Amino acid sequence: MVKLTIDNQTVEVPEGTTILEAAEKLNIYIPTLCHHESLTPYGGCRLCVVEVTQNGVTDLTSSCTYKVEEGLKVKTTTERVKRVRRLVLELLLVESPEAQIVQDLAMEMGVRRPERLKPRKDDLCILCGRCIRACREVVGVNAIDFAERGYSKKVAAPFYKSSPDCIACGVCFYICPTGAITMREVEKGEKARIPEGEEVTGPARIIYNWKVGLAMKRCKKCGEIIAPEFQLEYLRKKVNLPEDHFDICPSCRE
Amino acid sequence: MSSLKDLERLKAEGMNSLFPSKTKIMVGMATCGLAAGAQEVWQNLHQEVKKRKIDVLVKKTGCIGLCQHEPLVDILKPGYPRITYDRMTPEKVGEVLDDLVKGKFKKAIMARIDQEEFLLDDTRTRYSKGKIPAYITSILPYKRLPFYKKQKRVALRNCGFLDPESIAEYVAKGGYFSLVQVLRGGKPEKVISQIKRSKLRGRGGAGFLAGVKWEVCRNADGDGKYLICNADEGDPGAYMDRSILEGDPHSIIEGMLIGGFAIGADQGYIYVREEYPLAIERLQIALTQAQEEDLLGKNILDSGFDFEIEICRGAGAFVCGEETALIQSIEGNWGEPKPRPPFPAVSGLWGKPTVINNVETWANIPVIIAKGAHWFNGLGTSRSKGTKVFSLVGKVNNIGLVEVPMGISLREIVYEIGGGIPNGRKFKAIQTGGPSGGCIPKNLIDLPVDFDELKKAGSIMGSGGMIVMDDRTCMVDVAKYFLSFLEDESCGKCVPCRVGIRRMREMLEDITSGRGREEDIDYLQQMAEAVKEGSLCGLGKTAPNPVLTTLHYFRDEYEAHIRGKRCPAGVCKPLIIYSIDPENCTGCGVCLRVCPQGAISGRKKKPHKIIPSKCIKCGACFEVCTFGAIIIT
Amino acid sequence: MSSFEDARIVDEIIKKNEKSSLIVILQEVQSRYNYLPEQVLTLLSERLGVPLIKVFSLATFYRSFSLKPRGKNVIKVCLGTACHVKSGSNLLEKAKRDLNLSEEEVTTRDLGFTVEKVRCLGCCSLAPVVRINEDTYGSMTQGRLSKVLKNYL
Repeated sequence: MVKLTIDNQTVEVPEGTTILEAAEKLNIYIPTLCHHESLTPYGGCRLCVVEVTQNGVTDLTSSCTYKVEEGLKVKTTTERVKRVRRLVLELLLVESPEAQIVQDLAMEMGVRRPERLKPRKDDLCILCGRCIRACREVVGVNAIDFAERGYSKKVAAPFYKSSPDCIACGVCFYICPTGAITMREVEKGEKARIPEGEEVTGPARIIYNWKVGLAMKRCKKCGEIIAPEFQLEYLRKKVNLPEDHFDICPSCRE
Repeated sequence: MSSLKDLERLKAEGMNSLFPSKTKIMVGMATCGLAAGAQEVWQNLHQEVKKRKIDVLVKKTGCIGLCQHEPLVDILKPGYPRITYDRMTPEKVGEVLDDLVKGKFKKAIMARIDQEEFLLDDTRTRYSKGKIPAYITSILPYKRLPFYKKQKRVALRNCGFLDPESIAEYVAKGGYFSLVQVLRGGKPEKVISQIKRSKLRGRGGAGFLAGVKWEVCRNADGDGKYLICNADEGDPGAYMDRSILEGDPHSIIEGMLIGGFAIGADQGYIYVREEYPLAIERLQIALTQAQEEDLLGKNILDSGFDFEIEICRGAGAFVCGEETALIQSIEGNWGEPKPRPPFPAVSGLWGKPTVINNVETWANIPVIIAKGAHWFNGLGTSRSKGTKVFSLVGKVNNIGLVEVPMGISLREIVYEIGGGIPNGRKFKAIQTGGPSGGCIPKNLIDLPVDFDELKKAGSIMGSGGMIVMDDRTCMVDVAKYFLSFLEDESCGKCVPCRVGIRRMREMLEDITSGRGREEDIDYLQQMAEAVKEGSLCGLGKTAPNPVLTTLHYFRDEYEAHIRGKRCPAGVCKPLIIYSIDPENCTGCGVCLRVCPQGAISGRKKKPHKIIPSKCIKCGACFEVCTFGAIIIT
Repeated sequence: MSSFEDARIVDEIIKKNEKSSLIVILQEVQSRYNYLPEQVLTLLSERLGVPLIKVFSLATFYRSFSLKPRGKNVIKVCLGTACHVKSGSNLLEKAKRDLNLSEEEVTTRDLGFTVEKVRCLGCCSLAPVVRINEDTYGSMTQGRLSKVLKNYL
């Protein structure tokens, strides 16, 4: 167990806990954006920065990545910390002015969009990387990742074309904090066009960002989506299962 | 298996090579030399030697530092001091050889060297025997040249003095004997203690105490430790590491072997940026030679110590000079820095304890072992021991590589070593530390060069780039330039760096185009300070330094651009006008012919005129006018 | 190049670099093809069992890689600090003008030349510097650049 102080309050937590998690135990609020409890910490948005003092040295660090140390002193709302949080929100307000979550966080901290800087248009993506981490860590598919670097960095599918590995599970859509990913459920019999691609007939799911449109197999009993048809067919043939094996979803089968 | 006897054999071979019985001609073949035309000189030299059927040795050598005078050709005739010809051309080679055959040396000689110095064992061996002819003593010895007078070459000890492709010459100059000493002693802790006592600070930029880093790594848990040489010298204007790699590659290998022994690693990597192909080539040759002599591999010098070194090529990413990003790159990933802690000394390459040090740091190690920590402490200031290599470039007369003891003042470097500002212009600022550093103004020119003093002034030591600027350098343009560089090189992970640098650069574009606003100076200051605090890694944390120092010391220039919409130094294109001075213009028409836009008009022998609306300010006319008639305001 | 040829070359490269990182393999591909063709990267991904997006991601992060075909001759104009202070950017513009390239274009239509900016080549004492293929030229002027380019036609 490790003992540390956050905002003059002491807390004891198991080794390997991050400052963010330890703060939660004390009900101390630290704003976050790129963080998600089911994903590995990234430390990219810098919103969760805190001041840490250890061995007489004070530094700013992201609380989501810093693992606690014995005797660590943490301050979560110093002037330095506030300055960085204000900067991050101001910059994100110019980059993605329409992102609701950024607006909410900014309002919370009393930050307004700086008029001096020209806002970027029509791009909700704040490059938090949650979609990528979710795809890689939770789903295990590795369909998308960052491409380019610096200001031109973007989340992409290979060659900006239709992702060959995406299974249209939708986790990226659900985990995106700003709604930068567009997903559409195509009803049975309805027709829709995949961006830069062909037409699909529902039941199907289109994820516009990765230019993917996959016919989805729905459970014959409860109507819930099981998985893309082509993946199930591939599995079924590989393991030599009967034709109607995937017609009922796992929960209905129980 | 290598032994002391093998080293002695190599030493004898090397001594014969350093003091041959035949005349030896050395051509400076580092990248600067080649860029100045040394390849053609080399080829011509071989041809002319063959034509005259003279029995001479022709060898390559590294950069002796006075790069602006390249191509440099040195002649070592047995019994005579070594003499250097500068600015050699393929055409002049024949004449020089003719004089050599006749027993005379042509007058156009730059300098002479009377003795070969052996830094590691404090000896020197004179080249000449008996009386030296007057026409040679009339040539200035290197040490008396203003450029070299105050230098002390430790890391550069062998550059320009040996053939970098000869392991024998390296051994003859004391090379690999420090390794012998270390392995003989058999105690890694003693080595670490010696490096600690020397107070050697990393030469890559951060200036962290090398010995402490080594100790942390040695004590860290982990089966399998690694050593890395950071040769991703990305700071524009800095080429110290390149010169060491091209001129004395074995010094790095020896340094790493000693380091490997000290921390308990058996594998080392040298990460070289791919923009340095010659350095990579020289390193590969040196590694092969060391392997052939069993100085790399298993059971080196019968000590039970195993060590291998592998070269990794960079792929065009400045951020990979940052240690955690470098590690990512070696692992085959994106060069995205990771938050520290954990520090690489505890958890680095493949999660194992790793020591990363810069090229120059490694080059110092064999010297510290041979001459002791006490000797090293005798150089430099109280908190910055030893010497530092700087690349002195920009608007200064003597451009080149200089190695000086820490504590020397900027004034001495610029005016004594550098020979002052050319073309009668005035010193304005000196930029240290590359894109992470800052611009130091005239009133601080007596600042002693040392890690802490530079930091106090708002800059950093950095890797050693020193760019001298005169009154025709626009400081706002300099700030914009560094921001553009870092914007290009940012990995993009964190918001303050990715977006902050870009937005600051956009504001500087506005300012340098006459679109700046009154509030911009304060806003830039605020944003710069916040980016400095909020960024994840060193790149973002130091990116605001050029902006902050120029705002601090050259605020008036910013104000001139914003309020007056002018560029006092005559640099920012949207704010300058090219015109022709009718008093100086002879109407020769050369400018008219080179102008790509046809923006110059005029009749023969009559003063010409530039049409402002057509002029794209490309500078072609300025380049060709020999009458100084092109004016930029 | 046919896909059989590509497959053969890819297998050869992989075999030669069994223990090396993906970056090294990409460097080998680039030196063979002078750029990174999409179909070769796709083959690499299949043969190595590495997700295609990871290969693509690496290829776009590191600037020495090009996903578009590059010219036979690669002109690198140094824009390091010393070269910038000596008007290196004017040289870059001159090269583009001589080769009829617009601001966004980097490669001539006939794939004869590619013009890239680089920071820095480490020859600061001879600024401004231009490197064409393996040849490095110091103290370059606009006039000399035009002449030198002709040697590579």
